Amino acid sequence: MLDLLQAVMDGVLFGATYALIGIGFTLVFGVMHKINMAYAAASIGGAYGGLLILKVMAAPAWVVFLCAFAAGGVLGYAVYVTCFHFIPLSSPLATLMSTVGMLLLIDEIIVHVTAGMPQNYPALFDDVMWRAGEFSLRGDLLLVFGVSVLCMIGLLALLYRTKLGLATRAVSQQAVAAQLCGIRVGRVNAMTFVIAGLLGGIAGALIGASVGMLSPLLTTPLTVKGLIVTVIGGLGSIPGAIIAGLLVGGFENVLQLYRGVAERDLYVMLLLFVFLVFRPGGLFTPRGARD
Amino acid sequence: MDFYFGLVQLVGVHTLLGLSAYIVLLTGQVTLAQAGFFAIGAYVAGMLTVLAGWHLVPALGVSALAGAITACAVGFPALRVKGLMLVIATLAFGEGVRLFFFNFDYQIAKGEIKLGPVGGEGFRQIRFFPENGWSTFEVMLFIWAFVVAIMALLWWFDRSRYGAVLRAVGEDEAAAQSVGINLTAVKVSAMTVGGAIAGIGGGLYAHYTTHIEHSSFNVLVATFAIAYPIVGGLSSVFGTLLAVVFVQALLVEGLRDLGDWRNLLFGALIVLAMNLRPRGFLDPQALGSLKRLFGGDRSA
Amino acid sequence: MKKLALAVALAFAAGGALAQEKTIKIAGFGAKSGVVRSFGINSEAAMLAAADVINKQGGVKLADGSKAKIAVEFYDDRCNAEEGISVIRRIAGTDAVVAIGPTCSNVAEPLFGILQKKVADSGDSGLQFPVFTDVAIKVGLARISEWAFRNVPNEMTMYSSVFYWLHQKHPGLKTVYGGVEDDFAHSRASWHVVMKDRAQANGFAVAGESKWLLNDTNFATQVREMKKANADIVAIAAHPFTTCGVLKEMQRQGVKPKILVGLTSSSSLETLQGCAKQAQGMIIPTSFAPVSKEGKYAAEQTAKFKGNADLHSMAAWENMFILKQVMESEKITGKDVQGDRRKIREGLAKLKVTKGLLGDTKRTDDREADKPYLFVQAKGNDWVVLHNPL
Repeated sequence: MLDLLQAVMDGVLFGATYALIGIGFTLVFGVMHKINMAYAAASIGGAYGGLLILKVMAAPAWVVFLCAFAAGGVLGYAVYVTCFHFIPLSSPLATLMSTVGMLLLIDEIIVHVTAGMPQNYPALFDDVMWRAGEFSLRGDLLLVFGVSVLCMIGLLALLYRTKLGLATRAVSQQAVAAQLCGIRVGRVNAMTFVIAGLLGGIAGALIGASVGMLSPLLTTPLTVKGLIVTVIGGLGSIPGAIIAGLLVGGFENVLQLYRGVAERDLYVMLLLFVFLVFRPGGLFTPRGARD
Repeated sequence: MDFYFGLVQLVGVHTLLGLSAYIVLLTGQVTLAQAGFFAIGAYVAGMLTVLAGWHLVPALGVSALAGAITACAVGFPALRVKGLMLVIATLAFGEGVRLFFFNFDYQIAKGEIKLGPVGGEGFRQIRFFPENGWSTFEVMLFIWAFVVAIMALLWWFDRSRYGAVLRAVGEDEAAAQSVGINLTAVKVSAMTVGGAIAGIGGGLYAHYTTHIEHSSFNVLVATFAIAYPIVGGLSSVFGTLLAVVFVQALLVEGLRDLGDWRNLLFGALIVLAMNLRPRGFLDPQALGSLKRLFGGDRSA
Repeated sequence: MKKLALAVALAFAAGGALAQEKTIKIAGFGAKSGVVRSFGINSEAAMLAAADVINKQGGVKLADGSKAKIAVEFYDDRCNAEEGISVIRRIAGTDAVVAIGPTCSNVAEPLFGILQKKVADSGDSGLQFPVFTDVAIKVGLARISEWAFRNVPNEMTMYSSVFYWLHQKHPGLKTVYGGVEDDFAHSRASWHVVMKDRAQANGFAVAGESKWLLNDTNFATQVREMKKANADIVAIAAHPFTTCGVLKEMQRQGVKPKILVGLTSSSSLETLQGCAKQAQGMIIPTSFAPVSKEGKYAAEQTAKFKGNADLHSMAAWENMFILKQVMESEKITGKDVQGDRRKIREGLAKLKVTKGLLGDTKRTDDREADKPYLFVQAKGNDWVVLHNPL
């Protein structure tokens, strides 16, 4: 029983990292109704970007995170320009493939620059463990969770309380009508990507910090988990992405405890299928969502 | 020469992978499950030739059947989801198949060696071709016999009513339904055909690499399966072939001299290709011009 | 006119002299892309460095008494099975007489599978080309074909020695706990087939094992199991990325075994770059450390070609010199490419002992190597030699 509870807590806390990535995926999907397959790669790329400052001077962890934040935004814009700006909306397959190309390109650039070797990442609260009798909780993951919640609040505030947010929601509902109202669709979409990118940079940095190292190996599993979390949470729903991230994290860790590591991922897939069959809209189907 | 024959073999097997996704993409379903059917075909064919001593041709028949049945089973629930969700659902299915084989052990002792797939270690010594003395040239012809047959079949579909129905469903489901097309039948049949093609491709893959393991059928393979038809263009089967040649012959082998830059160019060229030709290399305009070039101007 | 005739004569002589410059091509192949990129880079550097040394010493002596220079060409197989097969076919189509590689075991297995299985079997249409592996270490691969030879360390012997030595040196330690990367054929076999078995054979009780996957990042459950078992020795059969992840989690949960044992391939720069602090004291048996004069020389030369000397790249270095010796003893012609390939295969098959950088290496009947080894330990930012059991 204690084992189970600990496993759940460990898993849920680690799920906060999935939640962060899921928010970015769901944001882009919610606004543009397109998947950005390169998102996890760009986030990790942003985290690597944060390391660049360490080449110039010795800096504390939060400076690295700030650089990762900025690098993520830059990469987000780059992905927008290369994959979404020029390709006509009527070719969804082309944007999908183009983001796959960007995923491969970003991965390759990372491998080239680092010669494939894992890079140590500065950690925040790495050694903080909250202990309560038999239980222990990782302090750094609590921070990640805290940051996800803050990001969610920030994003929701952005979407519902600012002009940019209003424009973004308008474009996501009816792009043509929004354009008729004088909203510059291209600019709004670009901003969405930049914001998602900024968020991704922080996500990548926090993931790097909680894993302790950055490696190109992180990209594929994060992409797959991020997509699964997005679907379970409800496409376009930010709170959904967070809850789904925690759910998936906890679920997979519990199943790992009982069924071992070889079958663990199979059960995550099964969880996804269960949702697709019984609740295809995900946990929180956003209002007015199509598809 | 052997190198070129080997390269043509590789292009052939990859074309089959691409074609298995092509027919499903025509109906507007983006599927990342083809690697899963590919894997099933590979293991089934491998086990039949190695463990049961079958000849390769009937083994491929069974792997086509296995791929088709699994695809049919996947096709029905796939109807319930659309768009991005289908992509993720099929991705999850493909990963599920891979994980299944990661856990799959089936060994038979032949003499003092044990043969058969062993979970994480894979399935080795699928040596039907070298043991029966097939030269690289003969294997190439064998693989391409299947490729040509399947391309001919799909090309024929494209010129028949079935092809028109597939594309109609892909273009606009509501319109297609309103003219009386049975969406379920069309989508599931396309999935099934795709599964059969992938099964054959997988069986051939197992035999020409002689060793398969779960990681040979990962997300990257699934992505390549849809990349070929998308980059090549969905207007014609030749588009897929062109894309496979572009990626495998040009990018992978041709650019080998560029050393390190080859991998960077890979991703960059895909992005560029999609920006410059969003509907693929052989998009409707290109196809039209090619037709006019070769067939004379038949249009009114 | 005379001047012109002299010039022409000299030109012919010079051309003739240049034409005397024969080359023997040795191909190299391995992963120069992806996460394992450094392996290919290092192997290539080692091969180029070795060729440079051999050529400076005059080159290889051919059957007709003349000398030929060694030319190395390295191909990138991107750790991909199909590409590896394509590459070996490409190499076989050139005039290369032997190839050193590959890096990845998942390339080696299919690759050896397409080679001719038995030399005597004329009905086998497999490729007839000798491959001398430097890195791919998964157990038992050379058995697949008589054209496949490997110069990789024998993990059974090494870990047997490690556990024997640990048992002798620390008689109070009784239990071993294993951590294994279960979805990677090499590390998986290393724990289940090698480490667990050898620990038990040397008087330790295996208190349990924890498994994870190659890409995993969350080791909380596994380390908790480890903590509960409270074993004296923890043996981790995993590559640097997950090894570091586990070590960091162990630090977080306060798991401090008395001895840490690691996987051979993890005795590299990568582990120290990722988690030097947490890996302090980890003991790993390895088949290379720059302790001897030859070893230091090899490391220096390889560094000139921008490569790092570790157990993998130094195997490539050793292979080059072994091949030179084989080429000379089998009297290759430098003209008959397929004949030379067969001779090299014969020569490699005949070898019983080869020279290694740590001492003499025995060759086994199934074309594998029994390399001398020593134990290294992570101290500071380096792997320092802890003990030489030989």
